[in-house]
Amino acid sequence: MLEKIPVLKCCTKCNLPETYETIEFDTKGVCNICRSAEARDDNTDWGERKKLLDALIEKHRGKAAYDLIIPFSGGKDSTFQLLYLMREYKIKPLVVRFNHGFMRDTIAENNLRTFKKLGVDVIDFQPNWHVVKKLMLESFKRKTDFCWHCHTGIYSYPLRVALMYQVPLVFWGEAQADITGYYDHLNDEIEYEDDKKFNMIRTLGITAEDMHDMINTPEDPVDVRDLTPYTFPPVKDLMKMRYCSVPLGSFIPWDYKNNTEEIKRELGWRADQLEGVPDELNPHGEKIECFMQGTRDYIKYIKRGYSRVAQISAFDVRSGRLSTEDAVKLGAEFDGQKPPSLEIFLEYMGLTEEEFNTIVKPMAIPPYDHKFDAKGDAVKTWDFDKFYREDNRPK
Amino acid sequence: MLKKRVIPVLLISQDRMVKGKQFSDFRDTGRPNSAVRIYSSQDTDELVFLDIKANQSNDESHESLISVIRSAAEECFMPLAAGGGIDSLDKVRQLILAGADKVVINTAAVLNPDLISQTAKKFGSQCVVAGIDYRNGHDGARVWIKSGSVETHLDPVSHACKLVKLGAGEIFLNSIDRDGMMDGYDLDMADKITKAVSVPVIVCGGAGNFMHLAEAFTKADISAVACASLFHFGDNSPIRARSYLRNLNIPMRTLK
Amino acid sequence: MIGIIDYGAGNISSVIHACGRVGEDAESFSDPSLAVGYDRLILPGVGSFRMAMEQLNDLGWPEAIRAHVKSCKPFLGICLGMQLLFDESEEDGPTPGLGFISGKVEILQTKAPHRIPHVGWNSLNSTQTHPIMEGVKDQIDFYFVHSYQCVPVSDENVLATCDHGGKFVASVAKGSVVGMQFHPEKSQPAGLRILQNFAEWNGKC
Repeated sequence: MLEKIPVLKCCTKCNLPETYETIEFDTKGVCNICRSAEARDDNTDWGERKKLLDALIEKHRGKAAYDLIIPFSGGKDSTFQLLYLMREYKIKPLVVRFNHGFMRDTIAENNLRTFKKLGVDVIDFQPNWHVVKKLMLESFKRKTDFCWHCHTGIYSYPLRVALMYQVPLVFWGEAQADITGYYDHLNDEIEYEDDKKFNMIRTLGITAEDMHDMINTPEDPVDVRDLTPYTFPPVKDLMKMRYCSVPLGSFIPWDYKNNTEEIKRELGWRADQLEGVPDELNPHGEKIECFMQGTRDYIKYIKRGYSRVAQISAFDVRSGRLSTEDAVKLGAEFDGQKPPSLEIFLEYMGLTEEEFNTIVKPMAIPPYDHKFDAKGDAVKTWDFDKFYREDNRPK
Repeated sequence: MLKKRVIPVLLISQDRMVKGKQFSDFRDTGRPNSAVRIYSSQDTDELVFLDIKANQSNDESHESLISVIRSAAEECFMPLAAGGGIDSLDKVRQLILAGADKVVINTAAVLNPDLISQTAKKFGSQCVVAGIDYRNGHDGARVWIKSGSVETHLDPVSHACKLVKLGAGEIFLNSIDRDGMMDGYDLDMADKITKAVSVPVIVCGGAGNFMHLAEAFTKADISAVACASLFHFGDNSPIRARSYLRNLNIPMRTLK
Repeated sequence: MIGIIDYGAGNISSVIHACGRVGEDAESFSDPSLAVGYDRLILPGVGSFRMAMEQLNDLGWPEAIRAHVKSCKPFLGICLGMQLLFDESEEDGPTPGLGFISGKVEILQTKAPHRIPHVGWNSLNSTQTHPIMEGVKDQIDFYFVHSYQCVPVSDENVLATCDHGGKFVASVAKGSVVGMQFHPEKSQPAGLRILQNFAEWNGKC
């Protein structure tokens, strides 16, 4: 029988370990995110919330160039939020996609099908790749998280578009309270995707102005305008427009498995392979949008001793689809394999694997102590050879 | 019950934030206003701003500390402490008016200890934090002043006792040897100081991961941990620190 | 409009900004004769009780404050401002206060491992309900920084206590006067909620 990661204390229900950000255990060893999920299911008056949602939509219908903005990646959550809002309310949305540059083929096909079936206007913004690489390297070195451009871009660019078009209502997908302890269903009601949340969670502690100062060097200058797509728009202007930026997950109970079944049925949405995760564990296509996901998950494992399978299992335990015992087994068996996409990441960054290990290992969250090569290599996904390659390593 | 505090330290050098190792080799870490915004969004327990250029007796430098405090006070609604080159009651008053709740007096506490008692008398002991930077040497630990550039003959423990007698309400103990090394706090000295004084003690210098914070609270009677490198150079934040420490039964602030 | 009393002994700017953050207009003023123009007043305070009372007396504040309180307009004392509401303080030898609430201000005493001054985040135990505490749960922490405590004669005036190796009074109320030993303007977000409650309160319980 496979044991759970030996030295980490884990939630007695969902099995997420003490190194999971913002996790807290109560006297029964159950974590705050599980308790929040229980509050969501047992205490939240979803009837009331639906009425609020109805009122919000009607308040904004027809008042601007579009009824609302829908930030969209093409993953299961954003596809569901688009489908739901269009079907339920027959709104005229502007779909805004901040394209991080790592989109995969299946997602691209899914999106094409979704947009044509639903009939929507779409803005797809792809930031300057040269700048993105610099941002990835700087945030990776300082925070061992190379996705700064993604977190900040996805959560600020759609608001920038909202300002451009003067469309105050912006609808996101799942509530943060379903994933971490920054917000919770016990105490918080409607979450707002505002500047506070942006600064708290999305920036990793580095604002766009600071990031520009960090990557702009005399030898390799960066135009300050290149950081605009990652900068939260002026709050004064958003307030003047009376912006309302909220997740759909604060108004309807989010069941990602049912949601995925719906988008598969209605839109022909297809799931995909995910590095390091057996197909049968991810039929609902968690995190299939980005081909660097495997490397992101690997970094997480080196720092925290758990990864994607453990997170998927945690959701399944909370929704009653998996036992804690099985969650323990699955996480221990599958998480931690080195992904093929790591090679691509190293090429983009001009780093060797040893340099990579040297940067990540010291940032581990105690008491986790990673042993490299203990878990073997993950299998390539079917589209690995289609991922963009660029070798910047010193010859 | 009083909770333990986690306090980010922002070192200011001419309108920029910096972070170094053992008080040298400073790296730019951004703008003070950005840090204030980030920490404010995270409902951080408290912020300490230290102007490391101030002891060059430069009024311009003092102005930059005042303006950082002023704009911080406009944006965030949490306790702010300011230090660096505070050598007169007038400078204290300006910082308090700008929005600081406490001042950290370091070099002046050695060169003009009366300033401690005058500040305590006028603004209250709770407003006066006595800053003690020290290095370990052959003859034991010694207090250093002027941003760690001048050695004194004073030993940190008796110096701390003296400053508390003069009216200091808190001690900010900073190990220059450990600064920026991310290898843990000097808990031996922290323990000595906490046993010698009855005021709250804030320990600074060496935090590299959350376990170091936990050790400080469990191995010595520390009231607050101050950190800089931990947040600048790691995937860490005060919110995550709170959760981590609460899991180890260290009493942390409740917000909701 | 909220008036913040500027008598030279308080961290005024933080209070003004905090009021602004909850959408309330607030301004500081240093001429007591203008007090009548404000529908609610805040008395901040940092430092010595004796010096604060001397400054208040020299500038003619007590009469203006009394008139405001007499007309049942809301009045909030923060930290030293709360202590000044009492009959007297033993700080620097007995010093008379404003006398709105019967009782004294004494040195805060505790025993090891607790330390004085009481600095940091601590929670309230509410002893009675009051509009100013609307929406504030008991286990939430507020920021305290003080070496003295208020000891009211009557428990009727106590809104909440706090524990620091022994109980002490954290908040008081009498008529349209309320006091907070902690700093609501430094205790976001719960502190901002209290300021909002104060801004909306009509002075009655």
